[in-house]
Amino acid sequence: MITEEFEPTTDTVEEEASVEACTKCTACNTVCPVARSTDIFRGPKALGPDMERFRSPQEAAVTPGLDLCSGCKLCEVTCPSQVSIQEYIRRAQNQGAREKGRSLRDWVLGRTRLLGRLGSMTAPLANFGNSNPLFRVLMERFVGIHRRRPLPKYQWLTFERWFKRHPRPVKSRRKVAYFYGCWVNYNDRRLGERAVAILERNGIEVVVPHQQCCGIPAVVNSNMDLARRYGQQNVRHLTPVAQEMDIVASSTSCGLMLKHDYGHLLDIPGSERLGAKTYDIMEYLWMLHEAGELDTDFQTVPMRLLYHAPCHLKSHGIGYPAMRLLRLIPGVKLEEVDEGCCGISGTFGVKVEKYDLSMKIGRRLFDAVKAAGSDYVLADCETCRMQVEHGAGATSAHPLEILAKAYGHG
Amino acid sequence: MPDTSTGVVVIGGGSTGAGVLRDLTLRGIEAVLVEKGDLASGTTGRSHGLLHSGGRYCVNDEQAAIECVEEGRILRRIARSTVEDTGGYFVSVTEEDHEWEPRFVEGCRRTGITCERLSLDEARRREPALSRQVRTVFWVPEDGHLDPFYLVVGNVESARRRGARVMTHTEVIGFLRDGDRLTGVRIKDSKTNEEASIACQSVINATGAWSGLVARLLGVEVKVVPVKGTMVVLSRRLAHAAINRCHKPGDGDIVVPGLSVSILGTTSAKVAHPETLPIEWDEVRRMIEEGAMMLDGVTTARAMRAYAGVRPLYDLGAEAEGREMSRNFAVIDHQVRDGITGFTSIVGGKVTTYRLMAERVVDVAARHLGVRTPCTTAEVPLNDREEPLDQLRHRPSLLGVPKPHGDEPPLQPLLCECELVRPQDVAPWLKDPAVRDLEDVRRRTRSGMGPCQAAICSYRLAARLVSDRGLDGASATRAMADFLETRWRGVRHVFWGSQLRNMQVTTGLHMELYNVDRELMLQHSPPPLAGEGQGGGRGAEPAEVGAQR
Repeated sequence: MITEEFEPTTDTVEEEASVEACTKCTACNTVCPVARSTDIFRGPKALGPDMERFRSPQEAAVTPGLDLCSGCKLCEVTCPSQVSIQEYIRRAQNQGAREKGRSLRDWVLGRTRLLGRLGSMTAPLANFGNSNPLFRVLMERFVGIHRRRPLPKYQWLTFERWFKRHPRPVKSRRKVAYFYGCWVNYNDRRLGERAVAILERNGIEVVVPHQQCCGIPAVVNSNMDLARRYGQQNVRHLTPVAQEMDIVASSTSCGLMLKHDYGHLLDIPGSERLGAKTYDIMEYLWMLHEAGELDTDFQTVPMRLLYHAPCHLKSHGIGYPAMRLLRLIPGVKLEEVDEGCCGISGTFGVKVEKYDLSMKIGRRLFDAVKAAGSDYVLADCETCRMQVEHGAGATSAHPLEILAKAYGHG
Repeated sequence: MPDTSTGVVVIGGGSTGAGVLRDLTLRGIEAVLVEKGDLASGTTGRSHGLLHSGGRYCVNDEQAAIECVEEGRILRRIARSTVEDTGGYFVSVTEEDHEWEPRFVEGCRRTGITCERLSLDEARRREPALSRQVRTVFWVPEDGHLDPFYLVVGNVESARRRGARVMTHTEVIGFLRDGDRLTGVRIKDSKTNEEASIACQSVINATGAWSGLVARLLGVEVKVVPVKGTMVVLSRRLAHAAINRCHKPGDGDIVVPGLSVSILGTTSAKVAHPETLPIEWDEVRRMIEEGAMMLDGVTTARAMRAYAGVRPLYDLGAEAEGREMSRNFAVIDHQVRDGITGFTSIVGGKVTTYRLMAERVVDVAARHLGVRTPCTTAEVPLNDREEPLDQLRHRPSLLGVPKPHGDEPPLQPLLCECELVRPQDVAPWLKDPAVRDLEDVRRRTRSGMGPCQAAICSYRLAARLVSDRGLDGASATRAMADFLETRWRGVRHVFWGSQLRNMQVTTGLHMELYNVDRELMLQHSPPPLAGEGQGGGRGAEPAEVGAQR
């Protein structure tokens, strides 16, 4: 084997090792919601590319404080050099957890599907427990879930079972596969019903292929091996489907995993084909509109709405399709609350040691929401909606709900 | 600057001079070290930092190899905190390397170097970055990394605690004589141009590649041949251990893990003057190509800067009778050779054997002074005080983060984020009169030695000059610009890819945002200093002055 003569060009470096591309410009630190809210977090630059220089396969988790990264990915969105800041932090977190072991709580929180199955099977009991103050004190003491954090309600009838009984439309122009995610399946079936109704209204037959949790709860709870296993299952189940039709996801973070992180963060071979065919549902509907295929025969919806863009939506790099779509609806007064991260970041704000920080991060958003006053605060991401309801006392909804109203569903 | 007097004046603040200073004070001899630049700003600070196991010399230079073996073991005892036990690999890549192997194994056996052949699988498990071209691997556990800055500073600080004095940025411009007897030296502060005399009984010339120039002031000849070596710094460690090519020592055949970086080295070319060290693009490219034969990732890693150092090779031909020691270094007793009492030179050698060199030259000087105390530098540890001389190595784990719901104080800010330098690492040096500029701070703390090459820490350090040293804004800004200029000298040799982009950020930050235009500054206030520190960055220097490490 002969080495090619070394001839440096402007792009010698980037492809192989993006940590080398960091120019220390510090843009990431200025957008990091955690660094902005606490002076005990060194910020994405320090824990990502800076520390990466000191990590090796033999020695990974050299820095404490890694677990304060909430995983919002705003640093990566902002980075002018496309450094995968988050990936370095995640890998180090994961290796640290592998060396030190994970807590029971993190083990459980990484398994949303298991939680969902248990929760929906025992729905009335689970919901009673989750809202019982005494039980919550015990939960905080023994599991580490903060007592003031409202937990999502579980429902007895899962989306999967609902869909089995759902009658297929008689005729359709095309098919699309729906990645509903754990949230719709166990906690918010209604959102799934809306998604199906809207797609069918536009002459699209919805297919629900066999699927696993997308894996992001496992990723953020420092269990990348588990996430990779989930991801591999999804790639196996969904890739054949993706050859025939597009896949849409109604959860921002699930969609991001399928689109991007299976390939980049989890190195799952063959995931690029799946990623290329996956769309956020609002993105997909907007594409339909651009193709002139969206039914825009909307009813007037006289509502004042605020839109909060989830951090992970920014990572999709698709703009805010929900805002563009909703502005087509007569009567809708829609404004964006551009106040940054809400702070919950999935399971981050649920944990006892991070709850206060999570509420502090979201304070700017809460204040703006309270000051604006509106009928609904819209957000594509389910945990953002939980946080806005909890922190600002507002009513929140997925943008699909408004679209459904405009189509006359409820 | 007042005139003073002392027992011995040591000229040269590299590893040898620092070692000599410490050796003298341990023998109870009063001494002053005079250095025209900063400590470790000449050959020592520009070495690649390999603590030789001796494996590199065991075939061709047995005596040097044996000295390396012994000194390496002593340094691990006395200078624990300046050595990282990385171990080393000698790897064969080509057919020629393969033929060298039996000679290497035999050489190791003869000189007492521990050497073990590893299977390729085992070697790759330990060092995943080993190139696919590597055919045979020998493990030499006694290779290591010796931090040259810390070694010098450690020696000097140890001597200072025993009463020795250090004068940096002070050049020897002449000697005081009483017939054939040296009675003192004339010195000049290279920043303020003030002159003074130091009366003394003896002078030790430990200026390495500059020895000939210093001896010429006295009208005697010391034949050193300055030989340039160019090195390239990669922004991170590619391998845990030092990687050597198993062949006849040549160009670009070592990759040294220097704390947070990898250093590719080195070339070998005679130069006319020890301060004229141009770096050619061809040398940089050769370092990278040769390094890539041993390690994967050399071509894709970010080359951070290039620098050149100068070896003080000693011309043996004419010096046979004045020579007291082996082939690789020599003590010249000028009383015997030239009839000048009170002047001794130490030439040749390498950083690894600095202590032995110091011991030998002080033996000669002490004998003339009538001091019989034996040398103890092989036994007394460098770090003979309570607090550890901690360098970068353990910093990441030190930067603990308090728990979010506790009462712990907020995080300490970092001055240099790339190299994790905290304010308390810098503060004591700002109180030290021997530290004159930000380059001096860098040598002692590593500030500015990371990938951004002082883009960020330079202005934080400038602020410290104001708060801790009482400098006015203009002087601090000027110090910052000078600091950036010396960093720039090394970076300009590797202008491609990420480092080029990084420098664009630096330029944007300093030229556009801060408006720190050094050229403009020079026009408005010409440099007050005519003196030219070795390798230091001042005023209108010729462009080919070599870059610092």
